[in-house]
Amino acid sequence: MNMNPPLPVPPQIPPPGYGPRPLGDDPAERVPITNPIAAIEAILRQPRRLMYSLRQPGAGGLIAGMLFVAVVCSLIYGVVVGSFSGHEQWWAAPVKISVGLLISTLICLPSLYIFACLSGSQARLAEMFGLVAGLLMLMTLLLVGFAPVAWLFSQSTEHVAWMGALHLLFWFVATIFGVRFLNAAFAHSNARSSAGLNTWIVIFMLVMLQMSAALRPLIGRSEEFLPSASEKKFFLSHWADCMDASYKHRSRGND
Amino acid sequence: MTAQATISNPPALGTLLSGEAKTLAGWAGQFESRRFAFHIAVIVVGAGCYGAAMGWWRAPMQALFVGIKFPLIILLTTLGNALLNAMLAPLLGLNISLRQSLLAVLMSFAITAAILGAFSPLLAFVVWNTPPMTPDVKSTTAYALIKLLHVVVIAFAGIAGNVRLFQLLAQLGGSRRVAQRVLLAWLAVNLFLGSQLTWIARPFIGAPRLPVVFLREHALSSNFFENVFQTLDWLVSPEPPNQPGQKP
Repeated sequence: MNMNPPLPVPPQIPPPGYGPRPLGDDPAERVPITNPIAAIEAILRQPRRLMYSLRQPGAGGLIAGMLFVAVVCSLIYGVVVGSFSGHEQWWAAPVKISVGLLISTLICLPSLYIFACLSGSQARLAEMFGLVAGLLMLMTLLLVGFAPVAWLFSQSTEHVAWMGALHLLFWFVATIFGVRFLNAAFAHSNARSSAGLNTWIVIFMLVMLQMSAALRPLIGRSEEFLPSASEKKFFLSHWADCMDASYKHRSRGND
Repeated sequence: MTAQATISNPPALGTLLSGEAKTLAGWAGQFESRRFAFHIAVIVVGAGCYGAAMGWWRAPMQALFVGIKFPLIILLTTLGNALLNAMLAPLLGLNISLRQSLLAVLMSFAITAAILGAFSPLLAFVVWNTPPMTPDVKSTTAYALIKLLHVVVIAFAGIAGNVRLFQLLAQLGGSRRVAQRVLLAWLAVNLFLGSQLTWIARPFIGAPRLPVVFLREHALSSNFFENVFQTLDWLVSPEPPNQPGQKP
């Protein structure tokens, strides 16, 4: 048996930048965000400033501003989505995309609050709403960044399935960055674990994917604005049908 | 150094190519219209000369067309992704402005174009020594050699431009790790858009059986990645391929 007394272990000094610093410890983070442009600037360059501002009284204006930016950006991206088919999709796709995003958020907001509370988070519902508004704003801003690329591809193909896959890819990349923001903000809410948030993120993504199937067509054309009750489908089934139709279309072309 | 000296002095191009990170970071930090014009000019002349050498084998008119298209692709890629690149940089830890990111990408493309321009006389010499295009040119050694040469030269120029961009990003952000992340993200989006623009802007080398045109008749009727997937599909499919890229 080793009888030597254990050597004293010096206290661990966390490396700089490790672990969340308290919000607002940098004076620059306490500068109020007064308009939507400043909110855009903050979410891209100083996300901690935005997180700090959302905790201050009277953050309602900021949240409304972020939602406004998200709606405008989703309308812009929607126009690009609609440019594939033209006609009624010029207005239908932007409306469906912005409304779909807002409805998905509203559907998921209560569960986020519950998961956050279960994880020990101290964040209030208004703060949670603000963080999700930030997620939406960042997502849609990135989608606008992708818009020129999406437009170019939408003019260079006739395959709905291909364009769908491309928009899905852009949406996925944008969502990853949005979720990173949410995760970073969640780390400041004293939550014991991020498992609840991770579960919610999966739910939120599934809801958005299903919303894209529920509000179809977003890319192609249809005689009806929304699918009838008999045409309701789960999004995976809708994708499978699209892929199948695309494959048949191509097979006919190869005959 | 004044703007006039920067542009008229040969070391301006030397500074750009040698990638003196501190100087380039200073250039990216301060917009100067004459320097901006200089970078555009390097892209237009460098990539234009290389494009002309590329198209010359088919016909002089093809040389002119490719000489216009090649720099156009570079400039459209830079502009098309400017907003996205500017958003990705701060999100990945590099807090630079839209102007800085645009100038950084432009400078890296200017370096690439300068290298391409420098190689264009060599390529023109190779083309001059190559027998004229014949209907079966695609099965000849000369065609394979010229294609390979283009791949090597463009890859070298692209790598050099990106190495300089990496050094510039590391200087701007103070971290090699962050610079690496941003460079990879920018590369991904620029390759994505650039490859489609290049696909639309076909033909480059040209083919003797096809007419000399600025853009093919159905330039916008297919996309690069769709074609890659179709080719892969045809490779594994038992049915013989028709023509990759042809619309059903």
